[in-house]
Amino acid sequence: MRRGYKPPTHSSTEFELDLAPLLAVMVKLVPVLLISSAFVQLMIVETELPQVVKEAIERQNLDNNPKVEVVVEASKSQGFNIEYTENGQSKNVNIPTKNGQFDLAQLQENLKAFKQKHPDVFRMELNPDENVGYDEIVKIMDEVRQTNDKSQFKFIDPKTKKEVSTNYMFPEVVFGNMMEGS
Amino acid sequence: MRKRFKHKIATPQMTLNITSMTDMFTILLVFLLQNYTASQVEIDPIEGLRLPSSVSEKNPVDGVKIGVSTTELRVDKDKLLDLQSSAFKPTDIDSHDTNFLPGLFNHLQELNKKNPKLAETGKVLLQADKELSYNTLRKVMYTASMAGFPNIKMVVQVGK
Repeated sequence: MRRGYKPPTHSSTEFELDLAPLLAVMVKLVPVLLISSAFVQLMIVETELPQVVKEAIERQNLDNNPKVEVVVEASKSQGFNIEYTENGQSKNVNIPTKNGQFDLAQLQENLKAFKQKHPDVFRMELNPDENVGYDEIVKIMDEVRQTNDKSQFKFIDPKTKKEVSTNYMFPEVVFGNMMEGS
Repeated sequence: MRKRFKHKIATPQMTLNITSMTDMFTILLVFLLQNYTASQVEIDPIEGLRLPSSVSEKNPVDGVKIGVSTTELRVDKDKLLDLQSSAFKPTDIDSHDTNFLPGLFNHLQELNKKNPKLAETGKVLLQADKELSYNTLRKVMYTASMAGFPNIKMVVQVGK
């Protein structure tokens, strides 16, 4: 079968892209973004304050269950004093300061061991002394919120009844001594 | 008089090469888009206030903005109280309750009436200087919770 003749197409299709409209859009976009950009990124750390009524309801609900609590007292002179309460029995652990600074690594190690035993507990009470700085409080909250290494804690979600793993330890920090008088 | 013959000189047409400029703008645009904050909440920095650093990844939410620097306490843009040596003056503290700041309480109560929607959330965005002690902060948090704002969100700078 004879093929139809096709004229050779040698003409190179070289053309210049008109970048002017693209540049015009960018010139308008860049100042808008420059004005609305935040170069210092701000985030928030959440806290919850104890409310008398809320606590009373919680206590009533928890009365039938074994009560598990973690209370961390932070003092510049004595370091951390952790009080673990399991089934009504309390155990105290002291983590002294290291060169005048809080031993945050040791605090996390201690809480991690407790969290392995009670992975469904997410609430922790923090009682800092009056002279503890805000910067140190935020650092403590960072340390107890989640693990620095990628250890996971497995627990059963009561709603879905499925096993869930998370690296969060105690994201719910409550200032227990907030309502106490000084 | 005879006119002199003039040669027409062909003016060369100049085209500006904007490719490199477009490249530069593209890089700038990508960088700015990356830094663009998705948060709708505007937080005005307070002069002389140094926020603590945190690894928290929670974006700010709307609430009453309370700022405490080492020299003053502000609610939104109103200066309410002065601080002396990073502590509240004894005259600003209630004589019966050492954690209670009547000035702040009254202002928050007024806000409650003016903006009931915001008051319903009970949220406070607390910007506090990292050098302040828990004793000073406790007074602010305690008074705020008494005035109907128990959900304190601490504003921090991203970093470690």
